[in-house]
Amino acid sequence: MKFRPFKRSLYLLALTIVTILSVSSRAAEITVFAAASLTDSLKEIAADYEKSSGDKITFNFGASSTLARQIDAGAPADIFFSADESQMDGLAKKDLIDPATRKSRLGNSLVVVVAADSTLQINSAGDLTNATVKQIALADPKAVPAGVYAKAWLTRQQLWPAIEPKVVPTENVRAALAAVESGNVEAGVVYKTDAGISKKVKVAYEVPAKDAPDISYPMAVVKESKQPDAAKNFLNYLDSQEAGDIFKKFGFILRD
Amino acid sequence: MSLLLKNISLPLADFTLEVNVEMRKRVTAVFGPSGAGKTSLLDLIAGLRSARSAFIQLDGNVLTDTAKHISIATRQRGLGYVPQDLALFPHLSVRQNLLYGTNSRAAASPLFTFEHVVEVLEIEPLTSRGVTELSGGEKQRVALARALLSSPRLLLLDEPLASLDAPLKEKIIPYLARVRDEFRIPMLCVTHDRFEALALADEIVVLVDGKVRQTGPVLDVFNRPASAEVAKFVGVETLHPGQITNVTEGLATVSVNRATLTALAPPIVSREVFVSIRGEDVILQREAAVASSVRNRLSARVVALRTEGALVRVELDAGFPLFALVTRPACVELALREGEQVTALIKTPAIHLVPH
Amino acid sequence: MTSAEWQIVWFTAWVSALSTLVILPFGLALAWALARRDWPGKSIVETFVSLPLVMPPVATGLILLKLFGRRGGIGGLLHDKFNLDVIFTWRAVLLALSVMSLPLLVRAARVAFEEVNPRLEQIARTLGAGNWRVFFTITVPLAGRGIIGGMLLAFARALGEFGATIMVAGSIPGKTQTISLAIFQDVQLGDDTHAYRLLGVSVVLAFAAVWCSELFLRRRKK
Repeated sequence: MKFRPFKRSLYLLALTIVTILSVSSRAAEITVFAAASLTDSLKEIAADYEKSSGDKITFNFGASSTLARQIDAGAPADIFFSADESQMDGLAKKDLIDPATRKSRLGNSLVVVVAADSTLQINSAGDLTNATVKQIALADPKAVPAGVYAKAWLTRQQLWPAIEPKVVPTENVRAALAAVESGNVEAGVVYKTDAGISKKVKVAYEVPAKDAPDISYPMAVVKESKQPDAAKNFLNYLDSQEAGDIFKKFGFILRD
Repeated sequence: MSLLLKNISLPLADFTLEVNVEMRKRVTAVFGPSGAGKTSLLDLIAGLRSARSAFIQLDGNVLTDTAKHISIATRQRGLGYVPQDLALFPHLSVRQNLLYGTNSRAAASPLFTFEHVVEVLEIEPLTSRGVTELSGGEKQRVALARALLSSPRLLLLDEPLASLDAPLKEKIIPYLARVRDEFRIPMLCVTHDRFEALALADEIVVLVDGKVRQTGPVLDVFNRPASAEVAKFVGVETLHPGQITNVTEGLATVSVNRATLTALAPPIVSREVFVSIRGEDVILQREAAVASSVRNRLSARVVALRTEGALVRVELDAGFPLFALVTRPACVELALREGEQVTALIKTPAIHLVPH
Repeated sequence: MTSAEWQIVWFTAWVSALSTLVILPFGLALAWALARRDWPGKSIVETFVSLPLVMPPVATGLILLKLFGRRGGIGGLLHDKFNLDVIFTWRAVLLALSVMSLPLLVRAARVAFEEVNPRLEQIARTLGAGNWRVFFTITVPLAGRGIIGGMLLAFARALGEFGATIMVAGSIPGKTQTISLAIFQDVQLGDDTHAYRLLGVSVVLAFAAVWCSELFLRRRKK
């Protein structure tokens, strides 16, 4: 009868669909919420990982404070890679991250940058109080790690009250970098790693390690993650030597 | 005054306004049916509109000359304009409206004082009011006063009586006459009402479909229309000056040359009037002494006959030129011929008196 | 409400008011030209004037950032010749508010001008008034209600401006932080109470401005 071949092709079709589905379900898609300063390094690391594992990594880069707030509000993150411990602590207190997976992976240093064609000389923190420096871009010192670190540094130098009126707070550290690149501010305080990726700025002053606060980048798997195993796999990869080499290439300090 | 309009060519919706005329008399009426381009002509003279080609000269001063690309700005033309919708400024008081034109070029030597104009037009009690509180006739007078107070060389009036009802028209005409006589300003009136033209103008320009069909003294044009087209528009067969000799109980006795007529007394009586009688209101009969209600029975001699379609236009001498329109069969029946004596009957209400 | 919060409200209010005054001469001139004159390319001008209404505010802000930055066409000139900086100062806030609220003023004023009977202006000219006198004594008073309604609408829009402002002025507390910028930052930092207080003020201000605007723009009932 007519139906027999029809029934057979239907059966084959169903089989094909199930096979395709199961194959694709084996490849996980995980979302990583990471500090803006990690943008370039993480993208390169993720590209390598995707090739070898078959998993797909999606990123949400931004100010760690903003990302923490989003995770708190239920955003679908699998991994959180913050630029300071304080933001990770905040989530840990609310039991939003898996403490067993938490690890402080990276360090960084602060630099004062000026536009590549600028003639401004900054030889010490005190030079930032000069009248020639009218405006300084910082990631918002109220909560964004890069700005918090910068404020801590300047407070310790007892220069914060003199510098605060000049501060232009930006949404994240890359926005501070962009402000300096555009020439609309005379100087900015960003991570050394950020200065490294931009050709439109140059480092005017490196904050010596003894003056700078301790910069630490912790990473962890988010408790509500729908792909905890795939997330743990990627986290382990971030902890690996291959990833470490890439981080070092971009100028990060490895903490162990 | 001398207003010269030469080579005017202005395309309008249905036709092109083409005018070549010189106006010399103090009061000229531009007379024609609605939509003949009369308002556009006034706008051209005032400089509110430009034409494809125009040459306008007032008293020797060139206002517009398209050939030489000359066009004097409106505010320097020294013309007073009373538009058909009066255009009183609604956000200003009557007094402010009146004084609006007084602080420009004319301020140095105004032609007439505020008090004089207000007195002549009888608008004293209105000055502190708002414009929206005025009646139609009051608005008319205020608009007129406002134009006068700007000391114009020429007054342009667009259908000054058109928006008023009949009794009001009769009341405003004397004010316009006063303006003409007291202030002696040249006036150019646009109208489609023949009585307005009659009452005010010395000279008339007939404008139909944008072209000038006839110019001349008012009576001449009305009595001797140059063409059937003008005649159709002018529409009055008999028009003749007369004098009111007596008014009793609402009836006026009018002396027209050697004849005497009884007519309804006009609301404002003046001695000199125009007597206007439509041809269709004149009844001709052979017998004289038949009792009827008609008050006006004139003995008349037939001067000429002219056939116009189904009617015959009969020119009579009744002591003054009188025209009657009768049907052709009636003409045949009465055996009307040149030189025949007949009696002309005209009902009292059919005689229209226009104060002059 | 702390004094810092009141400072934000006060700053927002006076910069918005100033922006409305700043756009008034140009806005009225433009509205008048659109209402009374015709010229080739008029429709292009109309479209440009309406763009800030339709484009994403941040896109408009980006254009302003490029133009008025120290390396930009206009900003460079101001910086080099007059040592005047726009970006990241209160002047940038004024700029953003002005550009974003201009279309509203122009549209309302244009309608108001179109409703003035041109005959009145013509007669005023026959009475000897020059163009400026006609404009200020006849056109503007008669278009008054519409113009004021438009100004209030522009003011209300300026009060709530965000996208373009954050692009060109940043959110510098005490210097360029408007109510909307402050609310955004508060939410980012997790300071919801602060945000709600400012939200309340924002609603009250906007309500009052728009309500008054409607009073003026509503046609007078005959």
